Amino acid sequence: MSPPREPAALPGRQPRAVRNAFAVLEEVIAIGPGATAKEISHAIGLPSATTYRLLNLLVAEEYLVRLPGLGGFALGRRAARLCVPVAPRLPTAARAVLDHLREVIRWGVHLADLTTGRIVLTDPDPDHPPSEEALLARHPHASALGKLLLAEDTGAAGYDTDGLALPEPRRFTRHTITDRAGLTAELKEVSAGQLARSCGELRPDRGCLAVPVRHPATGALVAGLALSGPPARVAQPNRELIAVLREHADRLAPLLA
Amino acid sequence: MRPGERSGPPVEERPGPPRTAGYVALAEAATREPHRLRARSPVHGLARRRLDPLQVLAQSVSGAAPTAAMAATPAIVASLAGSATLWSFAVATVVALLVGSCVGQFTRRMAAAGSLYSLTAKGLGPTAAFTSGCALLVGYGALTMAALSGSANYLGILLARTGVGTGRTAPVFITLLLVLAAAATALLVLGIRLAARVMLLLEAVSITLMLAIFGTLLARHGLPDDLHALGLARPDLGATAAGVLPALAAFIGFEAAAALGVEARRPFRTVPRAVQWTAGASGLLLLLAASAQQLGLDQVPGGLAGQREPVETLATAQRLPWLSVLLEGGIALSFFAAALASATALVRVLFSMGREGIAPRALGAAHPRHRTPHLAIAVALPPLAAVPVALRLAGVDASRALPALLNTSAFGYLVAYLLICLAAPVFLHRIGELTVVPVLVTAVCAPVLMVVLGAFVTTRSGWALVAIGAVPAAGALWFGWLRLRRPRQLAGVGIYDETSAADLLHGPAAPRERG
Repeated sequence: MSPPREPAALPGRQPRAVRNAFAVLEEVIAIGPGATAKEISHAIGLPSATTYRLLNLLVAEEYLVRLPGLGGFALGRRAARLCVPVAPRLPTAARAVLDHLREVIRWGVHLADLTTGRIVLTDPDPDHPPSEEALLARHPHASALGKLLLAEDTGAAGYDTDGLALPEPRRFTRHTITDRAGLTAELKEVSAGQLARSCGELRPDRGCLAVPVRHPATGALVAGLALSGPPARVAQPNRELIAVLREHADRLAPLLA
Repeated sequence: MRPGERSGPPVEERPGPPRTAGYVALAEAATREPHRLRARSPVHGLARRRLDPLQVLAQSVSGAAPTAAMAATPAIVASLAGSATLWSFAVATVVALLVGSCVGQFTRRMAAAGSLYSLTAKGLGPTAAFTSGCALLVGYGALTMAALSGSANYLGILLARTGVGTGRTAPVFITLLLVLAAAATALLVLGIRLAARVMLLLEAVSITLMLAIFGTLLARHGLPDDLHALGLARPDLGATAAGVLPALAAFIGFEAAAALGVEARRPFRTVPRAVQWTAGASGLLLLLAASAQQLGLDQVPGGLAGQREPVETLATAQRLPWLSVLLEGGIALSFFAAALASATALVRVLFSMGREGIAPRALGAAHPRHRTPHLAIAVALPPLAAVPVALRLAGVDASRALPALLNTSAFGYLVAYLLICLAAPVFLHRIGELTVVPVLVTAVCAPVLMVVLGAFVTTRSGWALVAIGAVPAAGALWFGWLRLRRPRQLAGVGIYDETSAADLLHGPAAPRERG
């Protein structure tokens, strides 16, 4: 897997640089966390100055991180975006909570893992199938689960949607919120109320309500619990329904954390 | 590790025995004391990763305050360097870029809040870091005082033009200074994003004003037939060297973005860039200002070197009195931005020292909502306003106080710059990433800085020497006390935004932050 030996230091803008960057990533994985710049340079046979430059670049882009002490490298959170997230297996106790919720209400009940910064459907309702996971993951601004995720990301940055890894928000129906100001206001509301709503924003005939499932100790966002049904019903206050939803989310929290 | 957790992302409970799985556990096993992987960053509490690149750049540009320097420095340099003025500025620009590249070796690898103080610790260890910290407190502190005085002074002159008050009287000056200091305190406490936005706006306006002023002057004057008038012909080595010290003083503060490592988004990219771009852009602006002033004042008796307020003289000579008003406005804004930038850096040095336990712990507190070091701000800002007020009450007006404060701050900065240059190759060697270029940079840069620093100290006299002697003495006492009472904390200086478990692949989700 090591590429041919390079005779001299490379400028960082050639196809070779891309190949070398991937080689560096592979080597960090192969050696394991704590790999030093020298080890990596030696393993892939690149000149040290080139390796150091590529390492700094990958650290700047946050695919890699420097471990405390600064000499060793490891994969950063962002590296998770380089592979397809796998839905974590749901504990039986959590599945029982979801089954109970599906018995007491007649809406579609979906559970999504949100720990990777991307929607991963862990337990979609078999009787009321949700939208395609790929569609949900790609256009978080149009779904209730996606809004939970965006509100969490931007809440830390003062609801600054400019910094979002969100391409131009796409319009699906006439209800889809596509302007930045509207989206910012919506996310602020989601964060304040800890409740996300989407009324016919992805599909005109479908609406969705979602509440966060949070880690009991740290409060970190772990998953989203969503109900889907007709948009007109979703738009109503639904106080009792939301109370039931939150109660089940609370019961899921210790099981998923 | 429990088998049942293998499939899911590992989650860590509150601090206690580690209960992580998968990649995070591997990483944890790869770290040793004293560099263990921690559950949260030692500088937690600040508004982590919020500033965009332009806001980070604004901090450095404001710190260097090119506008005020463009108006004042060329005449000072010309009085020492004569026809070699432009060469002096060119050499100073190169030195600033080299210092910036040394700073970049650190800021590309670690995100710190304590500016050069925290960075020096990773190269040269606690004693040098402590020296750098004291030098920076003097540098940032005196620069903040100077900038507040300068801003209040020029606002007073502007007020006098509009007929409100007589402008240069002590009560007007003191009132303006206190208002500015209160505004700076409020901006610093209310959030780094707000302060950075204000700095960006102020610098954008004042630099535009300056470019307009010098553009107008150059257009009026026209380019000379003989380019020798630009002073480019004969680079006189001695004269050039004499001018480098004041020319370099025009750059100080350009490293200020290094205090925003924690708060910058993508800090490893934006912070080094902000520092280097500020050095380069300040150099260009100063060269432009120096050549415009040299050309314009060619015919005036004494030339540029004979002027105390060269731009005013130029404006009068060209019969453009309104230029003076723009100039004073631009300088007042630029000085206020400089006060914000240097105070921002100062309180973050204090914050880091408080967290490390080498200064009172309370200084390391962060406001729970605004996520700023509010107690460090509350402790630092009153004296920064009180000193210029006291100087004025003692009868020292801004024209005498400003150079004294600026010289004091230049001394602090030069010491810190010298230490960071020496620290860079040692740091790279320590983490096993040393190459030839950083060694060469230090080999060129450190001797130049030593000569400049030596020249600076030997040309001082009277009170300035007493001040230069008093600071190390006070620092040595503090250091002695720390060695006796807080040896462990002293050994641990140089905290920065370390990688914590949450930053790693499949790390536990970061604890919830309310912004």
